[in-house]
Parts: sequence; C-alpha cells; structure tokens
Amino acid sequence: MGMSHSRVMKLVGRTGFYLALIASSIAMLVPFYWMLSTSFKLEGDVFAYPPEWIPQPATLLHYIEVWTSLPFARFLFNSVFVAAMVTFSNVFFCTLAGYAFGKLRFPGREKMFFLLLMTLMVPFQVNLIPLYKLMDLFKWIDTYWALIVPGATSAFGIYLMRQYILSIPDEILDSARVDGCSEFGIFWRIVAPLSLPGVATLAIFTFMGSWTSFLWPMIITSSMNMRTLPVGIALLQEYHTTNWTQTMAGSTIAALPMIIVFLFMQRQFIEGLTAGAVKR
Amino acid sequence: MEISIGRQIGLAIRKYYIAYLFILGPVVLTTIFLFIPMISSFAFSLTEWSGIQPPEFVGLANYQRLIFHDRKFIKSFINTTIFVILGQGSGPVFGLLSALALNQRVKFRAAFRTAYFLPVMTSLVVVATIWKMLYNESGLVNFLLKTVGLPTTRWLMNPSTALLSIIVTSVWQGFGFETVIFLAALQAIPKELYEAAMIDGANAWNRFWHVTLPSLRPVIVMIYIIGIIGTYQVFDQIYVMTAGGPLYNSQSIVGYLYENFHYMKFGYASAVAYILFAILALFSYLQMRFLGREE
Repeated sequence: MGMSHSRVMKLVGRTGFYLALIASSIAMLVPFYWMLSTSFKLEGDVFAYPPEWIPQPATLLHYIEVWTSLPFARFLFNSVFVAAMVTFSNVFFCTLAGYAFGKLRFPGREKMFFLLLMTLMVPFQVNLIPLYKLMDLFKWIDTYWALIVPGATSAFGIYLMRQYILSIPDEILDSARVDGCSEFGIFWRIVAPLSLPGVATLAIFTFMGSWTSFLWPMIITSSMNMRTLPVGIALLQEYHTTNWTQTMAGSTIAALPMIIVFLFMQRQFIEGLTAGAVKR
Repeated sequence: MEISIGRQIGLAIRKYYIAYLFILGPVVLTTIFLFIPMISSFAFSLTEWSGIQPPEFVGLANYQRLIFHDRKFIKSFINTTIFVILGQGSGPVFGLLSALALNQRVKFRAAFRTAYFLPVMTSLVVVATIWKMLYNESGLVNFLLKTVGLPTTRWLMNPSTALLSIIVTSVWQGFGFETVIFLAALQAIPKELYEAAMIDGANAWNRFWHVTLPSLRPVIVMIYIIGIIGTYQVFDQIYVMTAGGPLYNSQSIVGYLYENFHYMKFGYASAVAYILFAILALFSYLQMRFLGREE
C-alpha cells in the first residue's frame, strides 16, 4: 500500500526545499573553501584547468612562506593588540558613560546625550584628513597611539550600554545608596556585573570592527612593522600579484579568528545584532 | 542673591562630579577626535592645500569644480549610486527570502544561518582578495560559466563588468546580515495574526502581503537606511579588487577621496568628504521622517 498523493507531494516539496537550502549554503561557502584549498596548492595549480577541487599535491609550504616574505607575525600581533586595546577601552568608557547617561542625574545630561547621538550621523571619512593632520601634530603617525586612541570610545557603544543599563531596576541602586555604598562601589559591584551581556555584545562588535578595519590603518601606518592584517593582505597582493597561494594562506590566517569567535559565540552575536531591530 | 555662572558651574561640578567623571573620557575623546576634526574638515574644504604650502582660501571653488566639472568625481558618484541601487535592491531581498525560508520548521537552522552569515564576519579585504582570484580570467567563476555555456570575460578588467562584479561580491558578503535581522523579526510576529488571517480565509500569498510585510515594515526601513548609508561609503573591496579602474569605471566616492588624499590635495579631498556627508545626512533625515511616521 503506497502513500497518498498529497503525502508524496509534501515529501517532494520538503526535499526540494532542503535541497535548495543546502545548495545555496554550499554556494555561500565555496569561496571560503576555495581560499582554503588554494592555500595548500602548488603555485602552478592555482589556475589549473579544470580547477583542482582537492589540491594534489598538497603542501604546507605557503603557511611557512607567508611568515617570512612579509612580517606577517607582526601584522597578526598588531591586529590582535590594537583590537584588544580598542575593545577594552571601549568597554571601559562606554559602560561608565552609559551608566552615567542612563542612571545618574546631572545638568546637561539630555543635551549631551543628544549631541553624542548626532555624531553617529557623521561618516568617518569626513574626519579622515583632519585626524591624519592631528596624528601628524601629536607625532603619532605610524604608532599604536594612532591606531588605538581615536577609536577608544564610540557613541554607539555608549548608546548600547545605556540601553542595557536602563533595564536595571532603580530600587537596587537606591537601596545600595541608602546602605551607604559609594557611587564607585555601586558601579563596580552592581551595575558592572548586571550589564555583562551588554558588555559581551559590545566587546564582540568592537573587536570585529577593529579587526576588519582597513582605510584608517592603511593611511596612518607607513612602516611594515606597524601594519595590521587587512593592510598586510592588501600589500601581499600588490607585491605578489601572482602569488595567490601565499595570499590565500595569509587570508586564511586573517579570517580564522573571527570565524572561530563567531562559531563559539553565535548566540551573543545574533542576539546583539537583533536586539535593536526587533521590538519585544 | 544672585549666584554667578562661574559659581553655579562650580557648585554643579562639586555635586555631580561623579557623573562628570564618568563621562569625562568620552567627552574629551569625542571633542578631540570627532568634533574638532569635523569642523576643521569643513574649513579645509574651503581651501586649496597641497600639504607643503600653507592652505589658500578659495571659498566654494572646490565644491563647484567637483559637482560641475570634475568628470572623475561625477563618475565616482554615479558608480557609487549604482552600487547602492543594485546592492540594496538585491541584498535585502536575498536576506528576506532566506529568512522566510529559515523561518519554516527547518532542521539545522543554525547551520544554514551560519553559512549565510559567515561572509559577514570576514573582513572585506579578505573577501575581495578571494573574489579577485575567483574572477581571474582562468578562475573558478569563468570555469563554472563555461561549463554551463555562459559567456566569460575578464570580469575585473572589463570596463563594463568591473563595477557589477564588485557589487556581486559585496552582496555575497553582506546579505547574511539581513537574513539574521529578518529572521529575528519574523519570529517576533505574533502567531495570532496569522491564525486570524487564516480564519478569514487568506492564502499563503495574502498572509505574506497583509500580515508579514506590514509587520516587517519598521525593520525594512531601518535596514534600507543603514544599508544605503553604509553602501555609499564603499571603499575596501573596490580598492583591493580594481583600485577604482579601469578608467574610474569602478571608482567610488570614498575611493576618489582617498586618491586625492594620496596625492596630497587635502582641500579638495575634504570637499569630497563633505559632499558625502551631505548625501548621508539627507538619507538620515529621510529615515527620521519615515520612522517618525511609524510612531
């Protein structure tokens, strides 16, 4: 006894649906796969016809080459260091300011917050040249200061933390004040722990923004030692226009950290992204 | 008895010093690295300044030249606008379609979502580098096209296809962002709305048109504004893939800004930046008007 007509149709429909999902997902991932497999190919096989889906022969040579042809280890260190410092400083400044704008009363609070939000409208490129001149003035060109300090805080980060902190009940804070707790103590012992989810979201996005930042690091660094990963990858291309294997090895190294962070912290990412978009 | 302003400020600071201390960092940083540069930038744009000699005031001459005479800028502006129209025309659509698909009862939803979202996590420089290789004359894209009998070309070197190729890459990289946002928004639509529609005899298309889309309207507006503003600033992938060529056919506004900066035409570049600012301000204003209407 066979299945009814409608059950067969449903099965076919469902299979087709899943096939479409799988096919489109594969299409999304093919470029990544190609990056990975090219990094293991021999230089001559990169544009083999027909294309080699699995490198034969495969080699680890390029992952070694990439460290020596350009100071790639330095690029990696710079990116990690700068991203970490920018993230820490953003978490620090934005949580403090977010708390102040959200829970503390002081003259000028509304006006200043409004002004802060208005800065979100200003695209970074408007400040590019004056910032460059400023770095020149401070003698910060080609230093970590220039890579870190201009991005040490962000209006969006303050807005984000303020949103999170607003949801902390005032009663908790007031009763702590009544108990004689200092303002610093209130911040450190009550506000900070309660705003950790917000901190995690801010940290992830700040790190990602810094890690993938290109225009500013490219402009503000001139010596090889100070370049960050994205700039390094772009350079690999200019100097080694045909050396795709090395470039792909470098790209894999550059892309891997964010991918790993995402795979482990997917929920934080998605929740952080969608919190603002969806009215609960 | 009147208290002087100075005394008032002093008293305020004494009383509220904690709050002022907490916001001190951002206030100082924002003033030095945002407000002052923003104003200087406008001042620079009114000058002709090549970095070595002191700046020379020229009024609105830079703007005049850019908007009316500078073919390269006009081309960059048109390219960027095409980029925005095509990119924002397709990206959010793919995002919505994939979100609608994933909103069904799907197993391994997170895995599919990851596949769409992974490019979003990757630096545009890496994405551009990979695709530069794929678009190579002997690369994967041409191979796949040849296999199905479609025409091939030197995608990034052909003046008529360079910009389009970069747009395709950018959509690939970015639509997963919209997928995630739309998916969350779809899941927040109350089931009762759909049930009520079904009781009223609405079919799947009607339900989509009369329940789903209206519920998504604020999210769609937000996505478009963020998308338009972001896409007008496109730079990284163009710089890596074509450096704006061939013959400025793929150059963007920011790319042209960078070029002028590179050749030390600081006054001129600042004017380019302020024109960009004006465009984005216009869209931000439109957003406030549109979203304001919602409430």
